[in-house]
Amino acid sequence: MRIRNLRNTKGQMRVIETILASFIIVAALSFVSIFAVSPESPGYEMTDLEKMGYSALHDLDQQGLLSPLVYNPQNWSDIRTLLKITMPNDVYFNLTIYEVDGLRLNADSDSEILYGDSDTFSDARNVASLTYCLVGIPETGYDPRILVLELTRG
Amino acid sequence: MMKSSRKKRGQFVIIAVMLTAIMMVSIGALMHGAITYYKHEPWEEYSTLIGDIEINSRRLVELSLADYSNSLVEDNSTLSVYLGNWQTDLIRIYPSSGIVLESNPLSYELKNSSRVNSTTSESMARAAFTLNVTSIGLEGYYFEVATSLTLTIDSITPINETTNEIIAVVRSETGPVPNLNEENFKIDGATKTTVYPDYATINAFAYRIIYDGPISPTVEVQDQRGIRVVGFKS
Repeated sequence: MRIRNLRNTKGQMRVIETILASFIIVAALSFVSIFAVSPESPGYEMTDLEKMGYSALHDLDQQGLLSPLVYNPQNWSDIRTLLKITMPNDVYFNLTIYEVDGLRLNADSDSEILYGDSDTFSDARNVASLTYCLVGIPETGYDPRILVLELTRG
Repeated sequence: MMKSSRKKRGQFVIIAVMLTAIMMVSIGALMHGAITYYKHEPWEEYSTLIGDIEINSRRLVELSLADYSNSLVEDNSTLSVYLGNWQTDLIRIYPSSGIVLESNPLSYELKNSSRVNSTTSESMARAAFTLNVTSIGLEGYYFEVATSLTLTIDSITPINETTNEIIAVVRSETGPVPNLNEENFKIDGATKTTVYPDYATINAFAYRIIYDGPISPTVEVQDQRGIRVVGFKS
């Protein structure tokens, strides 16, 4: 009778041990997963968007296409077209052009270089922002422009 | 005695599981650090930032040369003034990046042989830079910028009493300049100027300029960057 009782207790102990062990393992896995950088995590997404934006502006600048368009406000719609072609369809962007003293040059709704609704950016979970600068063109001489490109995925 | 031994064995299992869990966390943290470091670090973003500064520094040297070669007075302070402003503005444009672009004035060179009549004329500018970006731990990134435009007048041949033909070679620091037309050439005292690209006459890319005017004129070229060079066939 006493031996049977002891065996019963041993069985219960094993169950409790197993439960405790599973708790510890689950806790350990959850702790590790906090640090994991999956493709869906905000950190990865922001870096990816920033890289994409930088590459697009840098490639256009290297080919000598960006400066003539930025310094001629009549061609700002062409910048939108170029960026739209360069970037994937599900990436929305908003390009703002500033003078070096901070004056925004495309403040009017007509001169906005925007792909997507303005709500897209206010509702978006991850919006990446990057800065690119240009020094000038032969017609203007040294007259820097600061381009601020905001990007988000739709 | 038997009960006590069984109890100890139960404790041992818990201790073993806890040790395994600690090991898993440690290995997980190590693996995370090793795998995601290069993935998460925006190397491409850094290289593009450096590329942006490098491209625009080059463009600034070109703008300085364009200004210098077009000015009537020989003012070679253009390059140092432009570069000084660019260095200050970079700090304002990227305030949090800790960007410092240094340039030694001794490395500056501006040359415009347009002021001297010669068969081969050259407008040239050169500057060397050192870039530090504190935020990414970049220190002492060195790059040199040299930009030039040369004009060589190979020959001037009379076609008839009033019309002449010039074979001219225009080169930049990267090679022949192929995108020029009548608007880029100015021939002193000439009328009815026509410009054709020519590959055959001198076995190199050249421009064939046909014009009505004097037999030994001054030829002026301005490329798409605004750099001007003037040549003369004596």
